Amino acid sequence: MPKITFVSPDDGRTTVEAAGGDSVMQAALANGIEGIVAECGGAMMCATCHCYVDEDWLSRTGAASDEERAMLDFAASEVRPSSRLSCQIAITEELDGLTVHLPEAQI
Amino acid sequence: MAFAPTDETITIDQLTRDPYAVYRRLRAEAPVVTVRSIGRTLLTKAADTRAVKDNPALFSSNDPNTPMQRAFQAHTLMRKDGEDHMRERMAMTPTFSPANLKTLWIPAYEKLAGEYLDRLPRNETVDLFPALAGPLAARILAIILGIPGATDEEMQYWSQALIDGAGNFGYADEPFARVDACHAAMNAMVEARVPLLKAEPDQSALSVMINAADPIPFSQVLANLKIAIGGGINEPRDSLLTVLYGLLTNPDQLDEIKRTGNWSGAFEEGLRWVAPIQASSRCANEDTEIRGVDIRKGEIIMTVQASANHDEELFEDGHLYNALRPKTSHQSFGSGPHHCMGTHLARATIGKIILPMIFERFPDMQLVEPEKVVWWGFGFRGPLSLPVRLN
Repeated sequence: MPKITFVSPDDGRTTVEAAGGDSVMQAALANGIEGIVAECGGAMMCATCHCYVDEDWLSRTGAASDEERAMLDFAASEVRPSSRLSCQIAITEELDGLTVHLPEAQI
Repeated sequence: MAFAPTDETITIDQLTRDPYAVYRRLRAEAPVVTVRSIGRTLLTKAADTRAVKDNPALFSSNDPNTPMQRAFQAHTLMRKDGEDHMRERMAMTPTFSPANLKTLWIPAYEKLAGEYLDRLPRNETVDLFPALAGPLAARILAIILGIPGATDEEMQYWSQALIDGAGNFGYADEPFARVDACHAAMNAMVEARVPLLKAEPDQSALSVMINAADPIPFSQVLANLKIAIGGGINEPRDSLLTVLYGLLTNPDQLDEIKRTGNWSGAFEEGLRWVAPIQASSRCANEDTEIRGVDIRKGEIIMTVQASANHDEELFEDGHLYNALRPKTSHQSFGSGPHHCMGTHLARATIGKIILPMIFERFPDMQLVEPEKVVWWGFGFRGPLSLPVRLN
């Protein structure tokens, strides 16, 4: 199973095993990662599963869609070029080892 | 395993007046319990309410035995699942896009908020429920929905009639007769706007829905607007009043919020403390289990987000308003596919505009006899008045 590492704002690292087909958001919720709120449960209607994709992985996760980028306008923390809604990153074998950084706040 | 225990003692009157005492006991003693007077199985723990709402395949939003369809004269998106729900919801979402909020609705609200605050009298007692919170919520909603000709009074009257009808579990005649009269007025108001918005489309909900390339049936356009009217006034109204009450009864917290400017935090805490929508229904599609309790196919579950927001596992002294609370993740906007469509609008307008504006205008605002403020409601909840003195 692909491994995903979440890095909290104070540099705490948590690595979890994720089921292929799940989103990064679902992997976070399933493993009790603090810092991913995901109010809307993956419907891309809130902006509370915001994360920053680690630079090394940006080419593999791809870019946010226009709708996702628009929704990121509602993110509580700074939006950067690496910002994504973690519900929109589907986990594949290719993303085994993915590292994402969590923002200071989601609300 | 066993089915949920049945509680014969809890009354609707208790849940209307002081639900939090009941929920505290249920969280400790029977977090999955069938309440005879409600006829539903209540979930009072945060993990359970969230899990049910996030699993729409197992828990349908269609609670068939409610007066809602009768009251709304329609089967609305609130009670639909999957693609049926999503199609009707998506018909309205363009109105609530981030771009529209930023360029249209937030600036409109800011202007209205200033105007409504200008009208408030100083140096006398004024009740902010009818003088500010209700009409301001009504006005911005009328504009966003595309029926700006509806007066604040009409919007509030219709909204209350829809709420009273949908909550008319005793199927009494009066609430249905009243809401039926409101439907006639609302339909006339909307139908008169259709040709105008066909000729000159804008970003309002009515315009976006009727001018879509593949529009939903007009019956559902009406139903969507009425859902927004039924839910889009009391929630911003009650949450604003709740936050004001919380801050004004905790002056030390208010001082700190004024210093830090974290009005959004104060707003989120108000939503957590007294959720404007306290409970929602879901129907089990299959036999399942929750927290070791068997749930039968067809059983109606109530997720009590009001209780989830006070869950001792997540919040210390959850019964107290504390704007300085470090973490206020709550379930008041719901979760899953029915997550509140007005979330971003509420956060931007109440959390970022009206709260700082009102305290800037009236820095020494005082509650008048806060002990006399009555809190009311089982499904929807808020203070029935908020008398203040403005300087």
